[in-house]
Amino acid sequence: MANILIDSLMERISSAIDVNQSIGILLPGSNYQELIQALFERIKSKPDEAWIYVSVTKPFQNISKQLPFITEIKNIRFIDCISRAAGISKETKNVIFIESPTMLEKIGLEIMNIFKEVDPKTKKYLVIDSLTNLIIYNDPEIVTEFFNHIINRTRARDINTISLAIEEEGMESYLNRLIFLNDKILKIRDSFI
Amino acid sequence: MPETQLKEDELCETGIEKLDEMLGGGIPTGSTVLVVGSSGTGKTTLCMQYLINGAKKGERGVFFTITEPLFKLTKNLDSFSFYDKKLVESGMVNLIDLRIISERLGLDTEKYTVEDANALLDILRDIAEELNVKRLVIDSITALCYRLQTPEMIRDFIFKLGSSLASMSCTTLLTSEIPPCKFQYSQYGIEEFISDGILFLGDVERKGDLIRTFQIVKMRGASHDRTKTAMLISTKNGVELETLLRSRE
Repeated sequence: MANILIDSLMERISSAIDVNQSIGILLPGSNYQELIQALFERIKSKPDEAWIYVSVTKPFQNISKQLPFITEIKNIRFIDCISRAAGISKETKNVIFIESPTMLEKIGLEIMNIFKEVDPKTKKYLVIDSLTNLIIYNDPEIVTEFFNHIINRTRARDINTISLAIEEEGMESYLNRLIFLNDKILKIRDSFI
Repeated sequence: MPETQLKEDELCETGIEKLDEMLGGGIPTGSTVLVVGSSGTGKTTLCMQYLINGAKKGERGVFFTITEPLFKLTKNLDSFSFYDKKLVESGMVNLIDLRIISERLGLDTEKYTVEDANALLDILRDIAEELNVKRLVIDSITALCYRLQTPEMIRDFIFKLGSSLASMSCTTLLTSEIPPCKFQYSQYGIEEFISDGILFLGDVERKGDLIRTFQIVKMRGASHDRTKTAMLISTKNGVELETLLRSRE
């Protein structure tokens, strides 16, 4: 059952990202684990693509403990915005640690610096996990500004963007405002299972 | 005076991509530029990167320090990937401790008389000329002036320094220390008047964290950007500038 769910999610993400430059995925917290697994499976299946995964939700260590296969994926770089703030300071290959999720300019700069080193012909993808957690650590207005910058810059550089928004009570208005900046919105529902 | 488009050879590229873009290509050659900021804003790193980048293009430079000993300065530099020790060993980048020069000249290192200050000015100029440097940094003008005993001496010294620098063909950065969270350009209120340009390094607070900022306040002869940007410092790339997010600033 779990495999079917993950395969279906992978399929939905793949077909959406093939035709849209940016997609926003709105999901309930209960589907978070399956969704990121589906994303990583998708990344692993396309080794010719270049991916950046910005994590504001969980420390890299935590994600890799739950999904050990991600440490073997060669075409992904992580920007971990949460470990340093959580007091985890283990240097890890392929992971850039940002001292705090409030350092939005630094997150933006690291994204662009990594993509600058990628062959221009390679298809490039960015995942922001998640807008919800960026809002927890920052004022919603500044997250909107940050996300606008990211969307505009990635569009100009032909980079596809996937941004996750985990539904949270009291945050609907902010998340809706942000998620609608994307070209396509995928709503994942519990009923989908 | 209207700003005219300067030719490439009339501009001194800092080698910091976005900064050069903001400057319209670089600092007009021969300018004296004040790099203003409080402690920890990145003045020394910015100046050092400017010198090292110049040396990599074949432009010799000199860094006069009066704020920290050379061993400390080089130890800090070692962590940056832009730093190349060979440039120092080959004499393309010269690091000089002004306190040691003062001692060798027999000057009181803590308090300068008018004669001491003049002697120091002469030696600065002689070194720059002898080494044929294209880029010069004094870190910091504030610490140098601190050793002068009266406001009149400071004023006189700064004006003489300004004339000396103007007569040399090199492009100079003078660092200026200010108290935190103050929008002022210098400690003595006169350094800015001998400067052709002012680069202001500051901070903005976001949720208790400090974000470094950068702004070109003036740059004579250049059609420059005046927007406030975020300034980031990493061991990999040194100083980098990035659009500052300003909601609720």
